[in-house]
Amino acid sequence: MEPILQIRHLQKTYERGREHVRALSGVSFDVAEGEFVSIVGRSGCGKSTLLNIIGGLDVPSSGSVVVRGRNLAAMSRSELAGHRRSTVGMVFQSFNLIPSRTAVENVALPLAFSGVPRKNRPPKAARLLTGMGLKSRLNHVPSEMSGGEAQRVAVARALVNDPVLLLADEPTGNLDSRTAGEILDLLKALNRERGLTVVMVSHDEASARRVSHRLVRLLDGRIQAQVRLRRPA
Amino acid sequence: MKMDEMARMAVDNLRKSRLRTFLTTLGVVIGIGALVSMVSFGTGMQKNVTETFLENDLFTSLQVLPAKADAERIRGQGRMPAGRPLSRPDSIALDAAAVEKIRTMPGVTVAFPEVRFPVKVAIEGREATTNARAMPSVMGGFKPFDKLQAGSFFESDTARSVIISPRLLRNMKFVLIEPDRPRKLTVEDTLKGFRSARPEELIGMPIDIVTSSVDFSQLMRNPVAALSGGSDLPFAERTTRLRIAGVAKQSDGFGQGLFESGVILPMQTAESLPRLGFSSVWDLLSRTGGTESYGTVYVRVKRMEDLAPLKKSLEDMGFGVVSIADQLEDFKKGFLVFDAVLGAVGTIALVVAALGIINTMVMSILERRREIGIMKAVGAGEGDIKGIFFVEAGVIGFAGGVFGLLLGWAVTRVANGIANIYIAREGGAHAELFYISPWLILGALVFSVGVSLAAGLYPAMRAASVNPVEALRHD
Ligand SMILES: Nc1ncnc2c1ncn2[C@@H]1O[C@H](COP(=O)(O)OP(=O)(O)O)[C@@H](O)[C@H]1O
Ligand SMILES: [Mg+2]
Repeated sequence: MEPILQIRHLQKTYERGREHVRALSGVSFDVAEGEFVSIVGRSGCGKSTLLNIIGGLDVPSSGSVVVRGRNLAAMSRSELAGHRRSTVGMVFQSFNLIPSRTAVENVALPLAFSGVPRKNRPPKAARLLTGMGLKSRLNHVPSEMSGGEAQRVAVARALVNDPVLLLADEPTGNLDSRTAGEILDLLKALNRERGLTVVMVSHDEASARRVSHRLVRLLDGRIQAQVRLRRPA
Repeated sequence: MKMDEMARMAVDNLRKSRLRTFLTTLGVVIGIGALVSMVSFGTGMQKNVTETFLENDLFTSLQVLPAKADAERIRGQGRMPAGRPLSRPDSIALDAAAVEKIRTMPGVTVAFPEVRFPVKVAIEGREATTNARAMPSVMGGFKPFDKLQAGSFFESDTARSVIISPRLLRNMKFVLIEPDRPRKLTVEDTLKGFRSARPEELIGMPIDIVTSSVDFSQLMRNPVAALSGGSDLPFAERTTRLRIAGVAKQSDGFGQGLFESGVILPMQTAESLPRLGFSSVWDLLSRTGGTESYGTVYVRVKRMEDLAPLKKSLEDMGFGVVSIADQLEDFKKGFLVFDAVLGAVGTIALVVAALGIINTMVMSILERRREIGIMKAVGAGEGDIKGIFFVEAGVIGFAGGVFGLLLGWAVTRVANGIANIYIAREGGAHAELFYISPWLILGALVFSVGVSLAAGLYPAMRAASVNPVEALRHD
């Protein structure tokens, strides 16, 4: 079966004044449908850059990123917005919820951009949140929630438009180890039970090993090694 | 994303930062308020002048002058060539026969020589000087004499009665008590010798008209002294006792100086008074030259449309014609400039407000960078972001327009109130100095929203171009 994600010779150079910073210098790998892949490596090795490019938030300098047969490098800005809207869902270390909006409103936000009728949005958001054990937090704003709760709201938001690919950039980086474990379990469950493909960036290799099918280890913008841990179901 | 969706988000955003929204909107409110009060003053003045014209039937009135050259001189355009005799042999006499002829011309309803002369008047020993004017009794059927404040217009041209203006009464230290403006005399007023009176009380009261006349034979012996106002002229004063037939309406401030005389006398009665013709030197000289030519003949036509053809035929006859309706066009041009200046001041205020909008929105984008990044990350297109900010600017503009109109209205009410205190002190009638027309309301709203949208253009573009990766980087 064709991989859901194919990355070939991916390069990304940032220009910082006169200086050129090579964040990625020729990364190639595939992710199969239903796989849980973790990208690990030292800080500054290009993990976030890679994930942002897959998520359509950033554009590569060269190389290709093909998601479900569509090359992101060839997409217009509005096509990239469409990609972010309906193909991928992203989760960040710092949650990135809108502080003034309640859990339901935060989760319903992407539905506004994808044209779901207004009356259908809160029920759908509430259903997702309830499914993640947040029934008692539906109308709370992020500041009234624990880190674990906030990150689960962020996961719900990433899933609300039914993406084919979940991208998580150090989703447990701001959490204590017990809560971090719960979030990883949630991602694992989504992967196993719904067959959702997950690409996660992690600085904590031990935890990543526990939930992933495969590790991709980066070093200075290159793949240093890939470690197959277990076969996807 | 749909428009109503953007509007909802925009309003949500505005509600979340109330103080900032309030202050930004306040800038627009002040700008529009200034604009509305300024422009409404301009249109108010114009409306007043136009209404005064209508009220005095000036659109159906014209004045006939003895010769064309004279009319031009009055308009201040042509110049009398030096050395030309004042009384040209070819000029047609504007005499009683000419007035008779004018009366029969198509469209003419009234024609009478305009006779104006200075008089001293006295009621119960209270004196004042004014210009008297003679009119035929038929004028009682026309504006503004068809409705008097009290009494009625004299019934015949030989009646021994007069119509008196409120302004003259005021100069004679009468304070009129009007039903809509009850006024008590202050102690100061009483000390100054003011006396209050209801207009009706004055009807039938005797009024003394004191006229001066000149011994013409002596005048001709020494014309230089006469024209330079020498004191050795043999003036003869005579007092005629008449009665007050009516008190004219208060005319608003604009008509007063121009179109109103202090006291109006019946035609024949006025002719019988020994007097010094004063409407022009021409009048004076032509009187001495044997042929009796009037200085001016006042003509009123039935309909506005009659004016132009009548003017043409009178001019063809060799007369000079002046109609104030012509001058309304000049007035209007003047007002256009006036409005433009006032509008410019208001516009500057609004431009400042627009800069306020740009400033606030750029600030708000800096503050909301992360939020914009989030929206982009979850799939908002650049058009969506642009739209949200654009609509925010539009909402500020609309709210600013509505409240600005209210502010402008409030300002004009206060200013009008204050101005009327002074007007009343001067004995003038209540005046509306401002006029907020429906067009001004519509224009102010459109302008406010338009300027605000223009101001929102740049911030909206900046918001749309926020780099989500940078906006979301945790630092
Ligand atoms: N916008 C940027 N401008 C310049 N350099 C950048 C930018 N973003 C990332 N970098 C650089 O690219 C490299 C990789 O960054 P990143 O992908 O964030 O690493 P990681 O997520 O693995 O810590 C780093 O050296 C970083 O300094
Ligand atoms: Mg990173």
